[in-house]
Amino acid sequence: MNALRTRVIPVLLLRNESLVKTVRFGKFSYVGDPCNTVRIFNELEVDELMFLDITASREGRSPNLKLLADIADECFMPLGYGGGLRSLEQAKAVFDIGFEKVCINTAAIEHPDLVTELARQYGSQAVVVSIDVKAGWWGGATVRTLAGRRNTRQDPVTWAMEVERRGAGEILLTSIDREGSWQGFDLELVKRVADAVSIPVIAHGGAGTLQDIGAVVKQAHASAVALGSMVVFQRQGMGVLVNFPDAEQLEAVLV
Amino acid sequence: MSLLLDPDIDKAGLRICSRCIYDERVSAIHFDAEGICNYCRQVEVLVNQYGTGEAKGEALFADILDDIKRSGAGRQYDCIVGVSGGTDSSYLVYLAKRWGLRPLAVHYDNTWNSAIATMNIQKVLKCLDVDLYTHVVANKEADDIFRAFFLSGVPEIEASTDLGYAYLLRQVAAKFGIKTILEGHSFVAEGITPLGRNYFDGRYIEAIHSRFGRDRMKTYPLMTFSRFLKSAILDQTKFIRPFWYIRYSKASAREFLKTSYGWQYYGGHHLENRMTSFCHSVYLPQKYGSDMRNNTLSALARNGEMSRAAAWAEYNTPPLIEDELVGYFKKRLGLSEQAYNDVMQSPPKNWTEFPTYKKRFERLRPLFFILAKANLVPMSFYLKYCFPSRLPTS
Amino acid sequence: MGNLGSMLNMFKRIGVKASIEADPEVIRRAERLVLPGVGAFDAAMMRINGVPGLLDVLRNKALTERIPVLGVCLGMQLLTRSSEEGVLAGLDWIPGVTQRFPRQDGLKVPHMGWNIASLTTPSALTKGVEPQSRYYFVHTYCVQVDDPSFSLMRTHYGLDFEAAISRDNIHGVQFHPEKSHRFGLQILTNFATL
Repeated sequence: MNALRTRVIPVLLLRNESLVKTVRFGKFSYVGDPCNTVRIFNELEVDELMFLDITASREGRSPNLKLLADIADECFMPLGYGGGLRSLEQAKAVFDIGFEKVCINTAAIEHPDLVTELARQYGSQAVVVSIDVKAGWWGGATVRTLAGRRNTRQDPVTWAMEVERRGAGEILLTSIDREGSWQGFDLELVKRVADAVSIPVIAHGGAGTLQDIGAVVKQAHASAVALGSMVVFQRQGMGVLVNFPDAEQLEAVLV
Repeated sequence: MSLLLDPDIDKAGLRICSRCIYDERVSAIHFDAEGICNYCRQVEVLVNQYGTGEAKGEALFADILDDIKRSGAGRQYDCIVGVSGGTDSSYLVYLAKRWGLRPLAVHYDNTWNSAIATMNIQKVLKCLDVDLYTHVVANKEADDIFRAFFLSGVPEIEASTDLGYAYLLRQVAAKFGIKTILEGHSFVAEGITPLGRNYFDGRYIEAIHSRFGRDRMKTYPLMTFSRFLKSAILDQTKFIRPFWYIRYSKASAREFLKTSYGWQYYGGHHLENRMTSFCHSVYLPQKYGSDMRNNTLSALARNGEMSRAAAWAEYNTPPLIEDELVGYFKKRLGLSEQAYNDVMQSPPKNWTEFPTYKKRFERLRPLFFILAKANLVPMSFYLKYCFPSRLPTS
Repeated sequence: MGNLGSMLNMFKRIGVKASIEADPEVIRRAERLVLPGVGAFDAAMMRINGVPGLLDVLRNKALTERIPVLGVCLGMQLLTRSSEEGVLAGLDWIPGVTQRFPRQDGLKVPHMGWNIASLTTPSALTKGVEPQSRYYFVHTYCVQVDDPSFSLMRTHYGLDFEAAISRDNIHGVQFHPEKSHRFGLQILTNFATL
């Protein structure tokens, strides 16, 4: 019997030096100051945090190491970072600051060898590959890069299996269509991917209720859950207020 | 210059009010034949006028409540409560629900909130099932304005937050068609702020920012004069302060909040927001010799919740400063050790050296008198802003 | 991984002076030692063996002077005599071995995430720790001790393994205290006052 808790991970979006929240990778609103907000999550004792810099890739920018160092200073839980990572050197710099995991997206598609290299150097558990998926005009869901702007026309399951083969430790699977919608996860998508690989799949995009969290784990076989809107807004459609679901309530839906 | 005197009230060495602990250093203070200060007498007058905690006050407030319900009927929310995670606003939300109102909580986030404030807001609103509207100022922009005020040498570093909050409440009221804003101010529990040197308005903030700031204002809600008037006259939103009418004890409120919602008290040191904390515990005392803890402590002594001796002793112990608060302040605003010290040691400037609306407010005193009587602007605003600066300005 | 910074941060939060050292001369003057978890077993042992005088200083501090020592994650595994991850001998300061997690259906390896560690033997290192506290683990190999007397905390993941071990002044924790919030803070605080 396994007491390993299903991880529930707030995913925070960085835009320049602000925390923001987007809807369907489009319109954004301000959430707060990264360090100040992270401090609050630290007090809330969340299991893990993931930061994604949403403009780094498309602007061809490197990670903001100073900001990441300030963030790491505030946290006593595992941290992950993604956004504009394209090389071993950049990843090393992020690890040295105190982050446990790096998350690569566009770079993984363009240079899949990078996944293998990172896994070899730092261990697969330190390498998360982020797969953003969006439905096309004909309904078929494909993998997108550059914060959703480019369509690779690849099938998510095929790419996920390739990513595992290359040595990734985890997959962060994001439904662009569901992001910021509070409508629940794309269970069908998550299940297809989770059942096809043996590495953990973190479901992301659409969480609105505790029931959604339970469903994506129990029905769609996600190993972990990423939360966006739910942890930065007080309620659907209401104001910004950093929060995290109650531990007991989480346990109740995950067991 | 040390502000702190002997914590033993009998050895203080200067004149102290015989009812509260305002001493002779408080600006515009005088003591009457009984040794009681004008601020205590002012509270007496207000208590009389509003019937605070008495049948008269209750009756007045009962009418106000009916009015609120009437003017809010048919809308999603009938009143607004500004929330900060602190005692007054948290308790006020509870009361609003108990009174059968349908409040919308509103929060102005200057991105310096402490975890404890955020958690308090969440707990209270979740348990009471109240919706929250938040406006978050872009952190870099908020910092730019704070830095501008710091570099300018004036004391009102919190002006942008205070005015932004006031304007936000009005904006949200207009947006949702809400006619009443409830405020948790209590002259009995908090006392009257002595007529001091501080002042702020929209023109002042704009002036300081354009002179000492770097980035354009895009997300900061600036209440200019015309926006202020439009809101007061056209939107017709009323400001109501229930604790001016009904009995209110902060201590009992805290107990209740703790037990009912797991709310946490952050200590009387403004730890709900780190900029407020810096302002009250470091900036004002160290640069301007102004320690405003005596406002609340005097109120407690005045209404018997604390002995004068205990209040005086607390006032004369150094304020609790969060570890690394100053370090955080410098880091966030990008100030070197040198730059920080330079400002802290430079001669203070004051609002009269910058453009403001002050003269305009004074010229329009009759208009604001009418608006204040109708509760469309706070009476305290009228008293502080519409009279020449020899009299109340803060 | 680069958790040394986080470790320093946590010590700073407790108010304890700590620094990262590789120079035997500096280590000679230490009052307490933390062996962190970086990389793989053999690579770590090679580093230790490779710095002239380092192994001697460490042995002296741990076994003769008997100052408090804490191995973290891989650092705890180094305290055993050998590991299935490599071929080199470990420090062998606590009788036990390091083995890979068994290959079981549904058991995802590495063991990564928050899991419960149950107290087996009371000790000063675990003072104030609840009988079942949770910590952050990330490892592919785990430790079994020769005798239960060396066990401080056990965790179950596919099998029962040691989450914390101890022998006199030498201690080890498999989880990352610097990534385990107040639970980890409690452990490090205790260690700092041993």
